[in-house]
Amino acid sequence: MKKGFNLMKSIIFTLTALLCFNGAAFATIDWESKGMQIAGEIIANPAGFFYDFQQDLESTTPLPPGKVFGIQTGLFPTTIPLTYTNVSGKLRLHGEGRIAPGVPQVDLIGGYWDMLAVKMATKDSDTIDSAKFGGYYMGAIVSSSVSPRVRTFWGYKHSVMAAKLAFKPGEEPDFMGTTVNSFDTGFKDDFVIAGIETPKGVSKLWSMQLNYGLKTQSITSKISWYGKFFELGLNIFPEGVLVIHPVWNFHLNF
Amino acid sequence: MKKIILSAVIAAGLAGRLCAAVAEDSKIFTPYFDMSLNEAAYVPSVGNLFSGGNINTQVGLLTKITQKDHLFGLYNFNYAGPSFAPQDSKQFTDRSMTHSFTFEYRRNIGEKWRVRPGVAFSSDYSRTGANEAWKNGLYNMKSSGLQLAADYTFDFERNGVVSLTYLAKAVEFPNYTDLLREFKGSGVASELSGGLQDQGIKQVSLRPVWGKWFGGFTYTQQDYKNQKVVDNTGVYGNTKQQDKTTMIDGGFHQKLWIFELYPMVSYSVHTSNQNFIRYKSLGASPTNGGLLDGTSDVTFVGKNYDYKELTLSVPLDLNITGKWAIGGAINMTNRKYTSRHQRNSNNDYVDGMQKNLMTTMTGSIRKRINETAMVRLYYGLTVASSNNKFEKYMPGNYTGNTLGLSYQLSY
Repeated sequence: MKKGFNLMKSIIFTLTALLCFNGAAFATIDWESKGMQIAGEIIANPAGFFYDFQQDLESTTPLPPGKVFGIQTGLFPTTIPLTYTNVSGKLRLHGEGRIAPGVPQVDLIGGYWDMLAVKMATKDSDTIDSAKFGGYYMGAIVSSSVSPRVRTFWGYKHSVMAAKLAFKPGEEPDFMGTTVNSFDTGFKDDFVIAGIETPKGVSKLWSMQLNYGLKTQSITSKISWYGKFFELGLNIFPEGVLVIHPVWNFHLNF
Repeated sequence: MKKIILSAVIAAGLAGRLCAAVAEDSKIFTPYFDMSLNEAAYVPSVGNLFSGGNINTQVGLLTKITQKDHLFGLYNFNYAGPSFAPQDSKQFTDRSMTHSFTFEYRRNIGEKWRVRPGVAFSSDYSRTGANEAWKNGLYNMKSSGLQLAADYTFDFERNGVVSLTYLAKAVEFPNYTDLLREFKGSGVASELSGGLQDQGIKQVSLRPVWGKWFGGFTYTQQDYKNQKVVDNTGVYGNTKQQDKTTMIDGGFHQKLWIFELYPMVSYSVHTSNQNFIRYKSLGASPTNGGLLDGTSDVTFVGKNYDYKELTLSVPLDLNITGKWAIGGAINMTNRKYTSRHQRNSNNDYVDGMQKNLMTTMTGSIRKRINETAMVRLYYGLTVASSNNKFEKYMPGNYTGNTLGLSYQLSY
């Protein structure tokens, strides 16, 4: 393992050196225009931007075999730094093979979040008149072992988010030459979920899944590693503003 | 361990994808699951930094009805994000999303023969840098088709199989319209400019596999339902557009000590009866000797789309340990147009035919997480060159860097 790590270090060093030698081709990165582009994309579709973070806290993997219920809360980037206070739960309706051999595990999933910063800002702010950022999701996951080390899962979730913000008259901010009075937007869609799970070590699992929104054609791919207490993940939103979200969640399963 | 092995070479979509799937003897249902994800940052020498990804999910189920009769269903989701692409193919910012369903019935006849009739449906969404809603994409496409395939096993010891496949598809582009024609004839019969990309596709392929070797011959014919051919008088005639592509390809997969090599080469000849009228600028009118004079501002280019293309891919993996591997790969696409002259930066045709070359060199580190999962970190250097120097809309000459991460889980 250590040998492999040293090898990896030397390869990364070589790749970095190669990148440096090829510096001429990097001369054209225009960070300012990239920043403007990103800001423009958020303004064009604020609901999409905030909903991507909702997907970070949504728990869409099946309960580990033998567990009956579980709770989860998203730590990063949801609670910190975005103040999305949130809780999710899972409940097993049927354990795999209980009724008859081959009948899959069935879990109900769901969760709720509310953005604390917005509540505080509305209360104390001289500029914000009213605001509401929050959402919920609910659905079900069916999972089936296809070998002792591989489990595939399938699911459905209904996801809803509301994002409303209004500024006090005379206090409207100016953004890229446009005065922003208010926005009232939301996101609602039904998703299908397909994923695969495989063990990485003792009580540690590795999974990969696709969430596909049937009405909005939104695509999310989640890769995650999880153990008894924590889940680390990379959520990829290929059409989103921030394409890669590193994710850290806390969960307990009983 | 893996119960269904899908062929790495996908030749004719429906045809190549399914033929290598094999059922485990003891089971009635054998699932197949393959999910890969790739996300990368792209830095071109022309234009700004962008990111792009590729997601592919395949879910299949093979059902053994009797020892001789099998039924196979496959759903494939593919998202192709922004990326570097060979010249004249797509813009960096173009994205597409495909859902495809395939169902195949298999019947073994004797020991050596197997027949595979099937049906396939697919729905394609496309999106450009303009970020239109997926459902409004100009090039959104729907297709449905039939397949008839036969496999003949000629060498049981070395897995020698030859497959003959016939495929017929009807393809519709419900949103497509010729914008220029609509502008010109606004208020008259603009709707008539729709449906111009609708076409019927017929394909025949013959693909032998023998041990580590594979190869194939594929002939594809595209018959456009409405698109007419533009004549050298500058107006559309009565002949409908027809494109033909003939391709031969081959390769092998060789393991030697820690080295794993799987090179592939393909050569295709594309011909189309469609011609092209080059307007040097919007509103240009014929000058000098008229349409057929190569120096005119409005020039007729016969057989503009005909080309010959060679692609070469040489991936090499060094399996350092059971878990870790270093990879290197060279990919090359070389296209030579047979009747299209090269253009200078001023959009004038000059002597010599247009030639495009795109080469990508990739270095990677691969870690195998377990028998079903792997992760790869890679860096790629793309060098694209073309003697077409008119690059107002699509870059033909650029250098690009790619740094990406890919995951794969397959069962």
